[in-house]
Amino acid sequence: MFKIYSSLRKEFLLLINDKVGLILMFLMPLLLVFIITIIQDSAYKMVNENQIPLLVVNHDKGDQGPKLVSLLDSSGLFKIDAQDQIPQASLRAELLARGKMVALYIPESFSAGLESNAAEVSSILMDDLGLEGDTATGQKVALPRLSFYNDPVLQENYSYSIMSIIQSYMSVIENSMMIERMYENMDLQGQSEKLKKKMISNRVAIDQIIASNNNSTAIPNSTQHNVPAWTIFAMFFMVVSLGSNIVKERVNGSFLRLKTMPTSFMLVMFSKMAVYVAVAVAQVTLTFSMGVWILPKLGLPRLSVPDNFVALAAVIFISSMAAVSYALMIGAIAKTEQQANGFGAISIIIFGAIGGILVPTFVMPGFMQFASNFSPLHWCLEGFYVLFLKAGSWKELRSVFCFLGIFILICQLGTYFKLRLERII
Amino acid sequence: MMEGKVCIQVQNVSKRYKTATEDSLTGVCIDILQSDVFGLLGPNGAGKTTLISILCGIIRPSSGQVRYFLDGVPVPAGEQKSRIGFVPQEYAFYQELTPRQNLDYFGAMYNLSKDTLTQRREHLLEVLGLQKAADKKVGTFSGGMKRRVNLAIGIIHQPDILFLDEPTVGVDVQSRNAIIRYLQNINQTGTTIIYTSHHMAEAEEFCKHIALIDHGKLMAAGELDSLKKQHSVASLQSLFINLTGEAYRD
Repeated sequence: MFKIYSSLRKEFLLLINDKVGLILMFLMPLLLVFIITIIQDSAYKMVNENQIPLLVVNHDKGDQGPKLVSLLDSSGLFKIDAQDQIPQASLRAELLARGKMVALYIPESFSAGLESNAAEVSSILMDDLGLEGDTATGQKVALPRLSFYNDPVLQENYSYSIMSIIQSYMSVIENSMMIERMYENMDLQGQSEKLKKKMISNRVAIDQIIASNNNSTAIPNSTQHNVPAWTIFAMFFMVVSLGSNIVKERVNGSFLRLKTMPTSFMLVMFSKMAVYVAVAVAQVTLTFSMGVWILPKLGLPRLSVPDNFVALAAVIFISSMAAVSYALMIGAIAKTEQQANGFGAISIIIFGAIGGILVPTFVMPGFMQFASNFSPLHWCLEGFYVLFLKAGSWKELRSVFCFLGIFILICQLGTYFKLRLERII
Repeated sequence: MMEGKVCIQVQNVSKRYKTATEDSLTGVCIDILQSDVFGLLGPNGAGKTTLISILCGIIRPSSGQVRYFLDGVPVPAGEQKSRIGFVPQEYAFYQELTPRQNLDYFGAMYNLSKDTLTQRREHLLEVLGLQKAADKKVGTFSGGMKRRVNLAIGIIHQPDILFLDEPTVGVDVQSRNAIIRYLQNINQTGTTIIYTSHHMAEAEEFCKHIALIDHGKLMAAGELDSLKKQHSVASLQSLFINLTGEAYRD
């Protein structure tokens, strides 16, 4: 036991003497979580929140413009900023000045144009039915056009979705007006409600089913992505500390000296792994505490810790082991400390970019989403996603454990064969 | 003819590394006596480090064998590592740690108990003049102090056999004297010392027996005075030049 204690103590002393490594492993994730969560929060809100901030400029003189605004507002899908004084010419600049990403312009002739169109449709129908209705005596007004403005950074499909929603409310208004006008022409004023209800409200419904274990409607917010993402990033950054430690011990002959002693090299490696797994657990504890207690105080979403603590512990452990094993392999392969630090750090940044740490995989193009499967950081993050967003069951986590298990095995074997090649083992 | 009990028997040891085209050692046979100070000498690239690595168990010979004895009785393979101490030429310890922390770690790896380790650690720090710097990081030390830390680690478990690979290289006269004096002391208490050096005057003063290796082959082995007489030379340096030539070695 004294031998194990001494070995662990030596690794701990080496760790606390590595000030740069400690800063990279503990301060860096805190800063990254803090900064990136604040930066990305509004973008995640755009994706996650039901209400889309919409600037509506209504210049309509009739009833239909306000009716459309009211329908959009009552839908609950939009956070309406209704204006009637802004001229259309300055709407583009106003959109950007108000920090909105989408705007709708309703022209002055909106109601008149819809009325005219409804009268025309009704007249055609009456003629086709051989009935004599009121002759449309009013002046014919061209069908109005709505103008939709969007920030160029907004994805095209997102803009089309918003326009489709507006279009569907326009259909409600137009159909309603046509039915009313037809009933009027047939002298059946006030009796159109039943038909309107049947035609407009009574439509095929779409049931939304959430694909999660507990029917949770939780979807990733900026905290749920950034806290685990940057924690994993920092875990793998231990390559700078652990990797260079191993290079030093290989190069200065400490490992060879240990070979002349009545001790197992397994003890040396076990001590290193145990101390750095403990470091990874400390990193998780620190950043998750920030997500739970500090971020909400800054107006950011609170990190909801998953109920399944055993699964959480397992994901943390396997992620830590993946990070430690990668650092061991880099330490075993690199010829100098500079190589270990340089290659180690750059490879983690690349793995992070591919794996959805910097930018979530769901906004990546298809081939990059496929490429993300080759990043261990992606699978670590996937494990946390399953826990946070899908109340992860063991079944859900199976692929995560499988991939990370293979990754750990490859790294450990790589380390073993390289050290054996150098006659250290 | 050497007298006394054999401590290490090197029998026809050869070594060829996997990527090499020539042997680093060829058929080396040496007997090292118990409580001797044995000099393993030779120019650069002669095969000294390879032989010492084989003797310490760092690498295996391609052929031949090395046998260890204590008072004439073979030492079981499982006990050999506990009986030997190794002081490499490199500063093979942790520069970020203090001498105390280094000794604590390596002492524990030699299976010393906490009490024994504490006692021996403090003794070595005292006799090797490291007491005042015992809690400073070794990385801040001079070359001589680092050599003494390197030596202390190799002898903390009081080995029966001590291998030293150029233990005084790059140190000042004071540290060199301190190291040699201490090595002579532990030799007098029964520790067998196997030592390599390029410092011929030091080796001549320190060693009783030597083996001269060149190009992986044993050129001469035996009692130092006998070898000098045999080759009609006055000093070890002359013997060395006589047997290995004056050409540069890279």
